[in-house]
Amino acid sequence: MPADACTVPFAVGGCSIRERDQGQETSGTGDPTLRGLMAERSLGRIDDTLLVREAQRGNRAAFEELVRHYDQAVLRLAMHLTGSEHEAQDIYQEAFLKAYKSVGNFRFECSFYTWIYRIVTNLCLDHLRKKQVRKEEAPVATDQSGEQYDVLEQVADGRAGANPERDLMRRELGGRIGRALEKLTPRERMVFELRHYHGLKLRTVGEVLNTTEETAKNTLFRATQKLRGSLADMR
Amino acid sequence: MKCEWVKENLLLYVYNELPDDARYELEQHLARCGDCTAELKSARKFNALLSELPVEEPSPNLVASSRMRLQEALETTKQGGLWQRVVFDPAVWLRQIRFAPALAAAIFIVGFAGGIGATYKLVGNGAVNSIASGITSKPAESSVMGIQSISQDPGSNQVTIKYNTVSTQEAQGSLNDQRIQQLLLFAARNNYNSGVRMDSVDLLTQQPNDLHVREALIGALRYDSNPGVRLKSLDGLGPYVKSDPRVRDAVLEALMNDANPGVRTEALHLLEPVRADSSVRAVLQRLSESDQNTYIKAQARILLSQLPEFD
Repeated sequence: MPADACTVPFAVGGCSIRERDQGQETSGTGDPTLRGLMAERSLGRIDDTLLVREAQRGNRAAFEELVRHYDQAVLRLAMHLTGSEHEAQDIYQEAFLKAYKSVGNFRFECSFYTWIYRIVTNLCLDHLRKKQVRKEEAPVATDQSGEQYDVLEQVADGRAGANPERDLMRRELGGRIGRALEKLTPRERMVFELRHYHGLKLRTVGEVLNTTEETAKNTLFRATQKLRGSLADMR
Repeated sequence: MKCEWVKENLLLYVYNELPDDARYELEQHLARCGDCTAELKSARKFNALLSELPVEEPSPNLVASSRMRLQEALETTKQGGLWQRVVFDPAVWLRQIRFAPALAAAIFIVGFAGGIGATYKLVGNGAVNSIASGITSKPAESSVMGIQSISQDPGSNQVTIKYNTVSTQEAQGSLNDQRIQQLLLFAARNNYNSGVRMDSVDLLTQQPNDLHVREALIGALRYDSNPGVRLKSLDGLGPYVKSDPRVRDAVLEALMNDANPGVRTEALHLLEPVRADSSVRAVLQRLSESDQNTYIKAQARILLSQLPEFD
């Protein structure tokens, strides 16, 4: 795999991955704002390279800066996959500690972004596999204080406004989708999550999951087919 | 056929993952195919339906508490140090070699070439030295590791000796040269190569008047492991059997104890002129009675019978 192949342009800070990949898609335009964004992204990449090198020399502040570049995206992915803030926080903690211990082995063969996502998705896959074994039924999870709550109740709904009926419908819908997603294999779920909910391009998904774009594509097909089957009555 | 292809690629189209040419082709088809357009609509609707499960942004509180928790853990976590990684993780080594075969090969070749270069330099500059006679100082015996070869120029008494010190050196000079003699004596005594010992003993027999030389020849006769060398030293000592009792004793010893019958026979012949000597007579007596070698036994008897009767 050429080093370039897994270098994904990204911006630092709170910019979501969805925004990043959308930016990549339209990068051919002559829009000056976009050009500025691209410049910011390459700066971000340079920043990352410097920070990674510093972190490799044992500079903890540099590593913490890297964490701040990615931690919101990591939490977002882990929360959506696990449906639990508490579990998401555990994955976050484990992922960054692992990254800190092995940042010295990072050889810039792919972007740091891909590398950190690889660590996170592996941990999430482990989590999904364990969850599948446990065969947990309802999407009930615990929050930081240990209290159980329904994940779908947490779904924020800016559009529904103060309409409780619509709110209820959305919760029901969310519950159905959540259950349908749980029927997918961990790998199918991961590919679908990364592409559909987090906006990563299939090429990047392949790199993150250590597979080819073609395999990621086929997995996405299978996942969509299964979801269509599960949610057939809702279409 | 076309519709089938479109249906297969509709999902990629919805996710904006189709390459430009396929995308164009698909759009061209959609423009004139109602079925496929309906299919696209359905796919988009389903996509939108799935998006009803929104992706939540983590709350600032969650982000902050996660960061704090991580910072605390980092305080007590040790990073895998570079040294530790390089030295103690063979997998890393292997991976490095796998990913950098050219570098690995280059290091190997440079190391190999360096080794060869250094060897050549040593051999070329210092290992074998040609030293003209008289110019060099006398080699200290302790610095001589061994004698490599000895040769005599035909028709002269010029001798060439190659000897090793820490490196190999070469000395040339006359047989009378003290330095040459010293090397020859050293060769006769110490060299591991019996051919060289033979050469040195051979040359030393030309100078048996020298007491040191005679000493060396006696030593060679007594202790050299090579019968050829012992025979040579016997030849050199022959003329002194009469005059030098130490030589006589050494030859007698050889006659009694040497493992090689040829050496013993030669010693017996050498002792003929002194067969009347009491020590020689005693030895001959013993040999004629009990020696295992029948030739020696017979010869001893003959020599004894030739002795004049004293009583």
